[in-house]
Amino acid sequence: MAPGGYFGQALVVDVTDGTSEILPLSGAVLRAYLGGAGLGTWLLHRLGPPGVDPLGPQAPLAFVFSPLVGTPLTTSAKFAVVGKSPLTGMLTDALASSQFAIAGKLTGHDAIVIRGRSERLSVLLVDGDGTRLRDASHLAGMTAADADKKLRDELGHGWRVAAIGPAGEIGVRYATISHDGRHAGRGGLGAIMGAKNLKAIAVRAAAKVATADPGAVLAAARDLRARSFGPATEKYRELGTLANLLAFNAISALPTRNFQAATFDGAPRLAGEPADGAAAGEGGPGSIEGMRRVARSSCASCTIGCEHIYRVGRGKKARVEYENVFALGPMCGVSDPESVLAASARCDELGIDTISAGGTIAWAMECAQRGLIDAPWLRFGDPAALLRALDEIGTRGTPLGSLLAEGSRSASRTVGGASGSFAPHVKGLEMPGYEPRTLHAMALGLAVNARGADHNRSGAYEADLSGDLERLEGGDAHVAAAIETEDRAAVMDSMILCKFLRGVFTDPFAEWAALLCGVTGWDVTGAELHETGRRIVMAKRVYNIREGWQPEDDWLPDRLLREPLTLPSGRVAALTPERLRAMIGAYYKSRGLDPQGRPQPGTADGLSLA
Amino acid sequence: MTVSAGVVLAGGQSARMGTPKAALEWHGSTLLYRTVAIVARATCGPVVVVRASRQELPELPKGTQVIDDPRPGKGPVQGIAAGLAALEGHAEAAFISSTDMPFLHPAFIRRVLRVVAADAGTDVALPVARGYPQPLAAAYRVSLAATAERLVEQDRLRPAFLFSECVTARLDDAALKADPLIGALDPDLDSVVNINTPGDYQEARARLAPEVTVQLFGTLATGDSPRGPLSVRAATVGAAASAVRLPFGRDGTLARHVTAALNGDQITRDGATPLAAGDTVYFMSADAGG
Repeated sequence: MAPGGYFGQALVVDVTDGTSEILPLSGAVLRAYLGGAGLGTWLLHRLGPPGVDPLGPQAPLAFVFSPLVGTPLTTSAKFAVVGKSPLTGMLTDALASSQFAIAGKLTGHDAIVIRGRSERLSVLLVDGDGTRLRDASHLAGMTAADADKKLRDELGHGWRVAAIGPAGEIGVRYATISHDGRHAGRGGLGAIMGAKNLKAIAVRAAAKVATADPGAVLAAARDLRARSFGPATEKYRELGTLANLLAFNAISALPTRNFQAATFDGAPRLAGEPADGAAAGEGGPGSIEGMRRVARSSCASCTIGCEHIYRVGRGKKARVEYENVFALGPMCGVSDPESVLAASARCDELGIDTISAGGTIAWAMECAQRGLIDAPWLRFGDPAALLRALDEIGTRGTPLGSLLAEGSRSASRTVGGASGSFAPHVKGLEMPGYEPRTLHAMALGLAVNARGADHNRSGAYEADLSGDLERLEGGDAHVAAAIETEDRAAVMDSMILCKFLRGVFTDPFAEWAALLCGVTGWDVTGAELHETGRRIVMAKRVYNIREGWQPEDDWLPDRLLREPLTLPSGRVAALTPERLRAMIGAYYKSRGLDPQGRPQPGTADGLSLA
Repeated sequence: MTVSAGVVLAGGQSARMGTPKAALEWHGSTLLYRTVAIVARATCGPVVVVRASRQELPELPKGTQVIDDPRPGKGPVQGIAAGLAALEGHAEAAFISSTDMPFLHPAFIRRVLRVVAADAGTDVALPVARGYPQPLAAAYRVSLAATAERLVEQDRLRPAFLFSECVTARLDDAALKADPLIGALDPDLDSVVNINTPGDYQEARARLAPEVTVQLFGTLATGDSPRGPLSVRAATVGAAASAVRLPFGRDGTLARHVTAALNGDQITRDGATPLAAGDTVYFMSADAGG
């Protein structure tokens, strides 16, 4: 019998012929990897052939749920999509929240894994009647949102859809998978789905799942709900992550014009805060918030409500977050709010990751500036150039669009010259909006993370911004902080709980263990859960090593190590190769890795990967 | 090895004050705390406090190193020798300060240190300010530790002996005030004002707190609290927070979800962090990130 919160099985579908099988998931595996990103990592080890082409038919694409999905715990309606990234060649896991998580899990499976390649563009249906493929040729070229709506109209009540946009169909390597307006965004999972000729997966609930102690879960849910209304989540509730923008600009942590600067003169125009003297929601002159914010919304089963909806042009709306504004604004030197919001909406329509799109375009703008590519129209700060580049990428409509659709690492290898030194990626994944030269704990987190340059699997910026350590002088304390945030993220992404809740926990592992005990019936402790986090981090690294990771992959772009920044205070912020190397060495040592970042012999045997 | 570090001499007799100057209250903290924190802000660190053996010190900023003077009572050159010796291998130069200068400004420290940093042939940058040489508001090359030690062994205890044995660049009032930041923020060179008597202390304590700029980001500004930038008088981060009605913990730190950035640089939640004229304090959510 499966533990509470689980069905104890994964559904493995081959879309080549529509057949499926059940993969039993033992209690030991579930306890070791929980769900979400952790269980997805286990599934990739188990079902992904070593060295598989991420866009080949044998590459597995896993939709992985969690023990908390379907409980009344706030922010728990989440799932992970896990696969071998066509952008990085390593493991990627993207999390998202929506009713799809609940309906998907209640098909009776803890994960749905897709392999093979359909002969023609199809939709995979999963419900109580089993699995079947349905022709989707009429959905070709549609946006994910339109395909979602069309399918739900066709299928009727109860179906939930995750779909790709046109970019996923044509293999843009940072294509997304979307559902209910949310996106599993990073690493090109939409391209994997497109390579399987799968436009969408539709799920419908057919089962129920019990928790071990419903009373305890309900009490915990009430408590967590109350805490979710407190000061720890106020930022997300009132402004959303866009609140980062002005603050990061003030502390020289806002990557600008492809990391050529860390402050952006146009930042106030893109801010989420109302101008001084204006109440929130009423805006003020020059504020993106004042001009355009129209509503606030929540993910399914969430009481925080971090979604801030903005008006984009006539009749269109978009959910705006710091990362898409950073990537399509300061990173490309664009300060016009209307254009940045339009670019963000365009990414959603095409179905591409805003961070990778913005980073790749910013790199191309610098290439054009230096004469390394022949595109004189592609200039920093030009909104029209930004929108044109997005369209060329999303359609692969031009040679330049096709080049940029491969991501900045691959494109820099094609362009050559010095372009690789300022390509803004780690392991091929474009960098998020955190300046490593002024956030040294984050610099380490970005360098060593399994997914690549990533701010969600390593939240080490929290330490940099805590005041507990000197953010410009990376050392042992930064290493410890980076490890701790990685471990915490691994657990949160596997249980799954939204990271916007993290501030409400004062003893996180113990509190999370208590939640798991109520749901599963296990006697899990905080210490065990901390060990689980370490195991998941290690399992991701072991997977990457199996797929060809090399020590030089744990590194940052040359620019960040060779070009110091001068802060407005006059202080120089330099992240030298020596400092980064020392932090990485200390990280490896603390993780029990050898000096080259590889596990000691026998480590994999203890990860329960078989 | 960093370019610059700091040394604060805390082991003086405080005879005229009648009570240890290091522990004198200063805007909710102590004079020593302020001095160490200001020196730390203006240098790359570390900051070493030299105390008399077993001397009790008040709370110090996180990361401060404390050493015992092996030969207390031998005067400032001995303190200089001990402080520089502690920094050997860690920094090239150090700003050395006494404890009793409550208006020491980071711009002053940076200006003095720049003299040594700019010229490898200069061993000491010695301000001659407000009419007097200021050996305890000066920059010294760390490699002078052995020379200072030898002078103490020879019982040549006056700083002038040290200056006569090395290359000393003197900065008069005009040279100091020519620095635009000092000219704007410390035009009377109050940085070198020291306090020796209870009267000096009362007079210094009665001065208005420095004028600083405060700006709030994110959700911290409500309808009742303007976002800024606002000009307020505040000697510490905590006072600046109070001036804009931000929550403040009983333990002297900002509320858990609030953090402050000084001049867009140093990030802190320590309410005792001292401010100097012209500082800008940004208050933001400690949960920054996404």
